[in-house]
Amino acid sequence: MAGQQEIPWQRIRKAGIVGVPPRAVIGALNAHGVEIHDLDEPLVRANLATATPFLPTVYCAILRTAVVNALHCQLDAVFIDIGPGKCDAARYTAQILAQQLTIPVITTENTDRERLGNPISESGLPLVEKLQRITAGVRVAEPPADPPPFVAPTASFWGVPPRDFAILELFPATTHVHGWTRCMENKTPADHELEMVVNTEVPTVFFAQSFCAKTALARHLAKRHPHGLYLDVDAHTTASAKAKIQAFLELSGATL
Amino acid sequence: MKLGDFGTSYTKLLDLANAGCAPEIVPTKDLPPDLTVDLATGHNGKRCASRYVNELIALARGGERLIARPDFLLLDCGSRDIKFVRMHGGRLKDMGWNAECGASMGFTIELLERYYNLDRQKMSVPTQTFSVTCGVLGMSDIFDAVIAGVPVAEAVARFVRGIAINAHRFAGEPDLLYLSGGLCDHPVFIRSFPCEVVPLGRFVLLNGLAAIATREKPQTS
Repeated sequence: MAGQQEIPWQRIRKAGIVGVPPRAVIGALNAHGVEIHDLDEPLVRANLATATPFLPTVYCAILRTAVVNALHCQLDAVFIDIGPGKCDAARYTAQILAQQLTIPVITTENTDRERLGNPISESGLPLVEKLQRITAGVRVAEPPADPPPFVAPTASFWGVPPRDFAILELFPATTHVHGWTRCMENKTPADHELEMVVNTEVPTVFFAQSFCAKTALARHLAKRHPHGLYLDVDAHTTASAKAKIQAFLELSGATL
Repeated sequence: MKLGDFGTSYTKLLDLANAGCAPEIVPTKDLPPDLTVDLATGHNGKRCASRYVNELIALARGGERLIARPDFLLLDCGSRDIKFVRMHGGRLKDMGWNAECGASMGFTIELLERYYNLDRQKMSVPTQTFSVTCGVLGMSDIFDAVIAGVPVAEAVARFVRGIAINAHRFAGEPDLLYLSGGLCDHPVFIRSFPCEVVPLGRFVLLNGLAAIATREKPQTS
């Protein structure tokens, strides 16, 4: 839940969120009719370098994006999760934002354990649409009412939603989603047991943002997986990263 | 069918209609601007062909054709980057493509040898090495060594050895590796690897294109 901070609901019409705040917080934002913006996604045209006065250049591109958004979007408050479902980097970013912004920066610690399922992760939607739906789901407390049907997987994407969705375009629609993105859909971002679930039967790309602590877990799981590829990407997908995914999927027989 | 491996420094061309002819090697900077082929790979290939195959796929298919074993590690050291595929039981087990941190090492070797007028066939394998992470940083080591009195040929050889050790580590430190690319004809480079090396020459990717063209393996685009 939110910490000890008092939340001035009457003054909040437009709020930014970073990470996955608890369902109770999202539910309260929904109940107060607050317009929610997911600051983890690129929302403004401003260059990532505008975050440099506040965060080092060599730092998680998601959090740098969140800072750029927080600086440029006209928000009334920021809710940033710093619990076990997020990271220390977000904790420090919250401190920095609290000192730089004139609006309330409210920290939360999401320890939700109620599993709401993964129909999107296991559907036949294109992978880009899967992740768009999952990340959009962060802004509402309830799971979608019309879950898509299950398809058998031929590949898997494990990891966090990348800052640059371009890499997702290379995967077949029969790609299942694992890792923290699966936890997001399940609305249990701190469920490390679920995050560790992999499908050893299909080729799996283990993805993490460069400079994120999850690179260690992604690489570790990829090494143990019988058919895994570890990949980290910073702000933008490089040609060599795209080529690696394309070659991995093609040589594994899991292409479109 | 015309095939082209459009590398950063050199382009390798082969016409499958001329069976028995050796591939042609042309400096990429000297290519006619209107040159086109049917199937291409390499950094500069996309704009020169109707169909493009990514380099890792071409490398893997070329390795399957030339090595003809279910288990192998094939490392390609190009002008601009290094990349490898590791096959196990006929399936892809691991791969890597180092285009940024390991950049321009092959290009830098050629540049230095031309600048200092060195014959790579006459260079000796040095006992010392530089810790090389990329061509640009490696050059600073060479200049520092020359300033400190190390003969130019020795300094460049240390750089070459550093690249080999770095490439071996990048490929996962195998006991045996198959080598692809223009550095296959560099004695110091070959002998600097701390493992057994089987050089396959600079036409491995072209062989991969040929394998794809003749449908030995599923096609890609």
